[in-house]
Amino acid sequence: MRTERAATLRVQNLSKRYGSGETAVQAVKGVSLEVSPGEIVLIMGPSGSGKTTLLSMLGALLRPTEGRIELDGLVLSELSEGRLPDIRLRHFGFVFQDFNLLSALSALDNVAIVAELAGLGRKAARARARALLEELGLGARLHFLPEQLSGGEKQRVAIARALVNEPALLLADEPTANLDSHHGHETMRLLRRIAKEQGKSVLIVSHDARIQDIADRVLWLEDGEFKEMRSLATDPVCGMTVEREKAVSAQWEGKSYYFCCRGCREEFLAGPQRFGKATARERE
Amino acid sequence: MYVALHNLLHDRLRFALNVLGVALAVMLVLFLLGLEQGLRLQVTAYLRQAPGSIAVTQAGVDSFGGGSSLLPPGLEEDLRQVPGVAKVVPVLTQTAIFDLHDKKIFAFLIGYDPALGGGPWRIGEGREPRERGEVVFDRVLARLHGVRVGDTVEVQGQKFPVVGLSEGTASWMTALVFVRKADLESYLLTPGLSSLALVTPAPGVAPEALRARLKGLPGVEVWLKSELIESDLRLYQAFFKPVRLMSLIAFLVGTLVVGLVIYSATVERQREYGVLKALGARNARLYGLVLAQALAVAALGSLSGILLGFAAARLVLALRPQILVALEPGVVGLTLLTGLFMALLAAWLPARLVAGLAPAEVFRR
Repeated sequence: MRTERAATLRVQNLSKRYGSGETAVQAVKGVSLEVSPGEIVLIMGPSGSGKTTLLSMLGALLRPTEGRIELDGLVLSELSEGRLPDIRLRHFGFVFQDFNLLSALSALDNVAIVAELAGLGRKAARARARALLEELGLGARLHFLPEQLSGGEKQRVAIARALVNEPALLLADEPTANLDSHHGHETMRLLRRIAKEQGKSVLIVSHDARIQDIADRVLWLEDGEFKEMRSLATDPVCGMTVEREKAVSAQWEGKSYYFCCRGCREEFLAGPQRFGKATARERE
Repeated sequence: MYVALHNLLHDRLRFALNVLGVALAVMLVLFLLGLEQGLRLQVTAYLRQAPGSIAVTQAGVDSFGGGSSLLPPGLEEDLRQVPGVAKVVPVLTQTAIFDLHDKKIFAFLIGYDPALGGGPWRIGEGREPRERGEVVFDRVLARLHGVRVGDTVEVQGQKFPVVGLSEGTASWMTALVFVRKADLESYLLTPGLSSLALVTPAPGVAPEALRARLKGLPGVEVWLKSELIESDLRLYQAFFKPVRLMSLIAFLVGTLVVGLVIYSATVERQREYGVLKALGARNARLYGLVLAQALAVAALGSLSGILLGFAAARLVLALRPQILVALEPGVVGLTLLTGLFMALLAAWLPARLVAGLAPAEVFRR
């Protein structure tokens, strides 16, 4: 793979509020974060926790209401709207759950067009795209349309597209969600390779617990805030992640169990052996 | 541009149908513009070809084809006396009804003196009238009614032998038929009278200056020939308006077709435009993409439409030769501009749609 490029993402006190007055919704509340070069950070959390909003702000797709985002010494949150497309193009690589490839373009053109957008000539852009796709094992699929590729191949094309302008940071939104187990692992290994061999920072937002295996750090986002992973537990009845301090609890066979509500607790206590396998695994 | 083309060509059948839709609209625009131009050329054919640059009509008469004009007796001689006049060509005109194979056919008789001019400018077959009662018939009219050189045509019981067939004198209303002025005078019982005098200025004399000198003559209206042509065209505006309205409708239909094509293609790929925007494509680039698609459909549709327009004009010429669809370079150019304008107009709404896309939407599922 190509040249290494050191970069650090620093996020301080980042907030995002939608709407105003009584209808205002605080999607992200005072989040701070730092991602080092070559580090893989996984952000997990329940649906509606603010993961997508946070990812959009980190990728300069959405302006924060408050706070500061700094990448490579560049304060993104202070840049004018007109400069953001260029920043996205050159500093970030995006990987999406649905791959988001352009359906009318071949795998090669899907990658090359992003290099062209960054100012590379068509010939050079295609050469660079070809090299990347070959490196990712897609040399025989260069001229295939997305509809002719498997899910794993589409995701590799998307990763090649994310890498083509040599960004400092890869932002991946549920990169394994639409892939089977084999292709999911393959994508995870690839992202790890990119981080470790090229020194790129990789920030992943996902529900997929398997990604924890490759992540250097796992953060839990809930209600727009990062929570201590130690203070979280899983409700053995409904599977929801709950905060121990706020949750309803019960004891059984000398162990503590945490529940999202009294209903789950009562259901558990009515027949704890039914949930015996699904013990309240602490997220440590 | 290659992204735009790939987008368009992804579904080839739909692309072909879209181009066909635009082509039909453009063909209609071209055909109607050509028809209007043809009407203009036909109604002004005689004056454009007639000698001289000044036309004199009876006072109060402001058209050649639409009004009945009789000049004061002896006017030609008076005109010749005016300094700066090189030549005066008197003509006598009258609408006539020919009996052709039990059909009543309107024609516009032009009585002229073959020695002075003012007759047919192009004879396709036969010759100009020399003897009493001879006529030169319009070739299209003759073909439509099976009239040949050597035949005799009849007007209100009087027989006229056809000695020639003229070209460029057909009309969707009344074709031109030429006869010697003396014969028409005799037929109309108007000896020595003329409807129109065509005046040629002497070398070095400006038509405007000569017209100013002639204005003093009593009982007449003096025109620059170009002004009388304009006046004639104004008279026929009533015929042009529906054609223009149809052209406008065809233009709107064409714009709507291109607009729908590009709008639906944009909506269909809205998410992809959002992806490009999220990846860093600027709005200008995306506008360019939308416009390129609109231009590609409009350009291909326009070129096909022009070819179809020429084919339609040929078909009309074969089926209704009296109708002229004049597809002159100006008309074709105007149609191409219309196609371009269609594309610009059609790209406007989709471009606004693209401009309004929020790049963060790319993460929504």
